[in-house]
Amino acid sequence: MNATPYTPQRHINDHYDIVGFISSGTYGRVYKAVSKRSSTRPPDVFKHPSGRIIEAFAIKKFKPDKEGAELQYTGISQSAIREMALCTELSNPSLIHLVEIILESKCIFMVFEYAEHDLLQIIHHHSLLPRTPIPASMLRSCMYQLLSGLLYLHQNWVIHRDLKPANIMVTSRGEIKIGDLGLARLFYKPLHALFSGDKVVVTIWYRAPELLLGSRHYTPAIDLWAVGCIFAELLSLRPIFKGEEAKQDSKKAVPFQRNQMGKIGEVLGLPKKQDWPLLQAMPEYPNLQTVNMHNPAVNRPVGLDKWYRNTVTNNNYSGQNGAPPPDDSALDLLKRLLEYDPLKRLTAEQALGHPYFIGDGTGKPPSGNCFEGLETKYPARKVSTEAHEISTGSLPGTKRSVLPDDGLLRPPQKKLRDG
Amino acid sequence: MAANYWDSSQAKYWTFTKPELASLRTGLAQQHPNLHNKYPLPDQRHLSIYVQNQLTKLARRLNLRQQALATAQVYIKRFYLSVDIRKTNPYLIMATAAYLACKMEETPQHIRLMLGEAARQWPELGVTETSKIGECEFALISTLQSRLILHHPYRALGELQGVFGLSTEEAALAYSVINDCYNTDLPLMYPPHVLAITAIFLAVVLRPAGQPAGLQAHSASASASASSSSTSTPALSGNAAQTALAGFAGLKQAGPKLGKLVDWLAESKVDMEAIVDATQEMVSLYEVWESYSERACKEVITRFMREGGGIGK
Repeated sequence: MNATPYTPQRHINDHYDIVGFISSGTYGRVYKAVSKRSSTRPPDVFKHPSGRIIEAFAIKKFKPDKEGAELQYTGISQSAIREMALCTELSNPSLIHLVEIILESKCIFMVFEYAEHDLLQIIHHHSLLPRTPIPASMLRSCMYQLLSGLLYLHQNWVIHRDLKPANIMVTSRGEIKIGDLGLARLFYKPLHALFSGDKVVVTIWYRAPELLLGSRHYTPAIDLWAVGCIFAELLSLRPIFKGEEAKQDSKKAVPFQRNQMGKIGEVLGLPKKQDWPLLQAMPEYPNLQTVNMHNPAVNRPVGLDKWYRNTVTNNNYSGQNGAPPPDDSALDLLKRLLEYDPLKRLTAEQALGHPYFIGDGTGKPPSGNCFEGLETKYPARKVSTEAHEISTGSLPGTKRSVLPDDGLLRPPQKKLRDG
Repeated sequence: MAANYWDSSQAKYWTFTKPELASLRTGLAQQHPNLHNKYPLPDQRHLSIYVQNQLTKLARRLNLRQQALATAQVYIKRFYLSVDIRKTNPYLIMATAAYLACKMEETPQHIRLMLGEAARQWPELGVTETSKIGECEFALISTLQSRLILHHPYRALGELQGVFGLSTEEAALAYSVINDCYNTDLPLMYPPHVLAITAIFLAVVLRPAGQPAGLQAHSASASASASSSSTSTPALSGNAAQTALAGFAGLKQAGPKLGKLVDWLAESKVDMEAIVDATQEMVSLYEVWESYSERACKEVITRFMREGGGIGK
């Protein structure tokens, strides 16, 4: 390409040294990086809005849609555009901080502050034998910070649409940061119904019942359902509704997620119209009647109360060197987040006002450091240091298929993205 | 951001005073004195009208929404604050801005479709590969610093319509005035609610309730979809706009609706100076509009595209 006014102002390799490779996905790859050290000039100093200096970065490199011998400009995906625009616009302590975006040689590099952990990693760590529960104070702090970040998103008319443990970052200072806004979008007076944009949103295990039932006009309440699922997972260290995703058939029709609906039903029982007045208006309502034929367990649901007691007992909460289990207000919060009717489900603001967050007797809000007072050290994120060149050229043909910390079986990460 | 304009990147990074805008443009001229001498341009607003008309034609082919069109126009305005138009292919910039704006407004269009329709609409485009739009998209986003979320006056108009009890015709006229304001620098200068109130003011002054429609209002065929909005007619004529400006003098006498508007403004914390200035800008636009010549704009673009170097070549 000859010289044009297109020349980017900054080059990724002039400002960052890549430490290693973190993960890859459908969008591209994520690398860990630090400020470039060079003998000729001092390294760049990047400051977080809070004033502290950012030591390390996570660089998300979007690959062009098609890979060939020669990279081509194919138009940036809707998902990348959303993430770029939203991350540029938003700023909150509980949201991952975007440092800059560099567009260079047909690639997009989004430079974020680095977070040492994420909730999936932490859950994984606690589920290693001998299983240890996540301490009650840490749980409370995690949930409080997560909900604070979510409140900020919702106040700004943004639905995240892909909340799950892997997308909730945790810094070494114990701050929770919501990440991956690739599916997030504004919902203020959309020009089209949200449904018509992305047919499928939210990873299956965290997908709200109104989505499973085909709702066209869903609301921020879908994020609160996901928060409920994450809360349950932090308590029990395994996904509460671990269903199998029904694949789309060739006609591109969105299938009814019978299995996932059944998994929810095993715990909560199937939704009833007396509890959820608009239930019958749901497009998949007729299919709901077929769930119990495939999964009779939904007729004898465990119930959240029993699920909670079992979880607290099995996870050895009380046995843990005197660490108290979460009190019953945790169960109440969980029930109100995993409420079938989206209109009755707690909003982020209501959830933050729940007694669970003031019930520790001290009258103080939960700490902004979820590790406060704890001795547990979590292992640092695995960073692979082999062949970590962040070249702007063509990606190697073989894709790294196994994520470094993919010890837990996760559901397929495929989501439909439009554009 | 979306909830709070004052925290938005639009308010923080893409809002300028008149002197700031002037100095940005002078700076561009100083970078390329030869180009500027060789290709004198028509009035800024005439070029903007040309861009709007061209985009409206493209929008009609693709059935794009008005808001996406407005977003594209603001992207183009911002882009040309940093890059001299004479160094670009404005048709490629328009097609790319429309392509990006549709994605941002969640009504995406396929890049191939966008290129196809743009090429049919503008033989001057001279681009046959979608990768050119893709390349230009990178340049556009870089130059806009990824600040792509916009706050338009349409939302504020919708909210204020009820507050002031606007009739359907008045609201439609105000909507058209907002469309017209994208031919001025106003979207680079004032918050969206100021522009909405300005548009309402012009609409109310020019079409007092109870009187037959249309003191000289021309277009009035505002619609939610760009596909049906008229092309080259401003919402108001220059004379009518002058009438509106005079309306400031005897506001209270001008009918109950206007009185209510004035009382509301007095009690609100809305920047009155901004509204007066924006009104004057609009009045001045409608005057300038009367001497608009599509041919003159088209010719000068053709000339600098043929001889100049730059984007899309």
